[in-house]
Amino acid sequence: MALFWPRAYLAFVFIVLYAPIFYLSFYSFNSGGTMSSFDGFTLDWYKELFSDSRLLVIVLNTLIIALLSAAISTIIGVLGALAIVYARKRLYQHILLSLNNVLIVSPDVIIGASFLILFTIIGINLGFTSVLLAHIAFSVPIVVIMVLPKLEEMSSSLIDAARDLGASRFDILTKVILPYITPGIFAGFFMALTYSLDDFAVTFFVTGNGFTTLSVEIYSLARRGISLQINALSTLLFLFTIVLVIGYYFIQKRNEKTAVGVRK
Amino acid sequence: MKKLMQALIAVVIIAAVLFYAVHRLNASTGQTAGNTLTVFNWGDYIDAELIDQFEKETGVQVIYETFDSNEAMLTKIEQGGTTYDVAVPSEYTIEKMREQELLYPIDHAKVPNLRYIDERFMDLPFDPGNEYSIPYFWGTVGILYNTDKVQSEITAWNDLWKPEFRNEILMIDGAREVIGMGLNSLGYSLNDTNEAHLQEAKAKLDGLTPNIKAIVGDEIRMLMENDEASIGLVWSGTASELMWKKDNLEYVVPEEGSNLWFDNMVIPKTAKNIDAAHAFINFMLDPETAAQNAEYVGYSTPNKEALTYMPKEMVEDERFYPPADLTERLEVYENLGPEMLSHYNELFLKFKMHRK
Repeated sequence: MALFWPRAYLAFVFIVLYAPIFYLSFYSFNSGGTMSSFDGFTLDWYKELFSDSRLLVIVLNTLIIALLSAAISTIIGVLGALAIVYARKRLYQHILLSLNNVLIVSPDVIIGASFLILFTIIGINLGFTSVLLAHIAFSVPIVVIMVLPKLEEMSSSLIDAARDLGASRFDILTKVILPYITPGIFAGFFMALTYSLDDFAVTFFVTGNGFTTLSVEIYSLARRGISLQINALSTLLFLFTIVLVIGYYFIQKRNEKTAVGVRK
Repeated sequence: MKKLMQALIAVVIIAAVLFYAVHRLNASTGQTAGNTLTVFNWGDYIDAELIDQFEKETGVQVIYETFDSNEAMLTKIEQGGTTYDVAVPSEYTIEKMREQELLYPIDHAKVPNLRYIDERFMDLPFDPGNEYSIPYFWGTVGILYNTDKVQSEITAWNDLWKPEFRNEILMIDGAREVIGMGLNSLGYSLNDTNEAHLQEAKAKLDGLTPNIKAIVGDEIRMLMENDEASIGLVWSGTASELMWKKDNLEYVVPEEGSNLWFDNMVIPKTAKNIDAAHAFINFMLDPETAAQNAEYVGYSTPNKEALTYMPKEMVEDERFYPPADLTERLEVYENLGPEMLSHYNELFLKFKMHRK
């Protein structure tokens, strides 16, 4: 009984967090056409969604941008985090880290507008490339922040030991440091992925010439009201994320079992 | 390290597969490089079937992109870096774009279907002679009310001052709309610049404050839909969408007169395919096309000939196609110049701060 209130509280918090999503999903099966009253069950919105090739292209483009920008920014971000941790001078370290953090806290609108100006000045046409570059740019600082604690927590004696055993600098990086910070790298990757998927403000400024992402497209529907097709799409994306999370959980579990011996 | 490499390769492979899927989808809709036309329109503001039809008829591939506000669209076009061939701004933005020389003049010889447009909607102050813009949809500002809660019939701005509507009215957060309503209710033009008239309007509006529940922006849709208030000052577009969803809402264009707004097609300076842009505008003006589009979007079409192809109950709906004697009293917002505009804004601000 002592656990009842904490559990009830926890349940309440989760209900509040998930209720809007379920509400939205529920109405994606509504034959009535609006979110105000449920008239009957239908799968029409899903059918309509899959026949709307423009919307599907936008969804796929959004996913491509998210995957590529997350992968590239993870590579850059890991290198950046290494540079910060292994900077010689303390002051230099602080400056680098602060410069990184400024980018995280600065408003998206400013970042987006400055990208728009930059791209038009150097003559990059707005479209796939501009969106990809912008997403990489705002994801890098996030990856750095996610990887940094792992690097700091790593004992320097590990590196000393490796050197003692004759490891080259490249060996130390690939066989000692990277395996140790792998969880941080994955966390950074997934963070970057979600940031890219749901970013509106920056993306809005740099999309153009027919290339657009899902968040920008949905927002532009606001003036005319949003069709239940979008509910159907959101439901599918929500299920997709759930599958991803479950898949990630099983991969983690398998790795825990196998990763007892020497890390390769 | 191995694990990281595996993950990286997996990401690249997935991205490649998705790329291929996009390519296939684009190929199936025929969207490949070549003769293309980029249209920049409001979200869900065209019947998508018409785009397919246009592509089939002309062989031009349409790239369709959407925006959510005039300001957003203007920023994109001002900056360049895009190749929008046709855009659909509202009238006050057209005036701004014209001043900033962001528009190509429209060659009327290439748009023969222009003859179907009602003369009432041509040659308006924001674009004399329709040199740069062609009407796409039009509408009014009026009163949307809930017939379950409002017993008496509302027909005029002056009805809103009735004491029975205490704390029941939602206003649009726009200086031109609100001050214009005050001027209209006194029988003045909503482009009036006479200081005495403006002060009179402001004083009259102050008297309305006990009836006002809130001054809101786009939330007005949601608030009216959820019965949060019984009367709202809205654009006719918003009204037609809400009335389609809810039976107990009624829209009225006040008899004293009101605002007439337009969304017009223009060819911005970013255009690359000017011939196709003219062809597209001409296609949208075709009476049958315009009728189909108006039925889909639900806004009022300026195309006189299109009305004959539309369902009777739609065309005869006086709320959205007001009779001629009423449209004569509707006015387009004129550009009053920055000084007068800031005076309007100041009056509106004072009105907002007025204590009940």
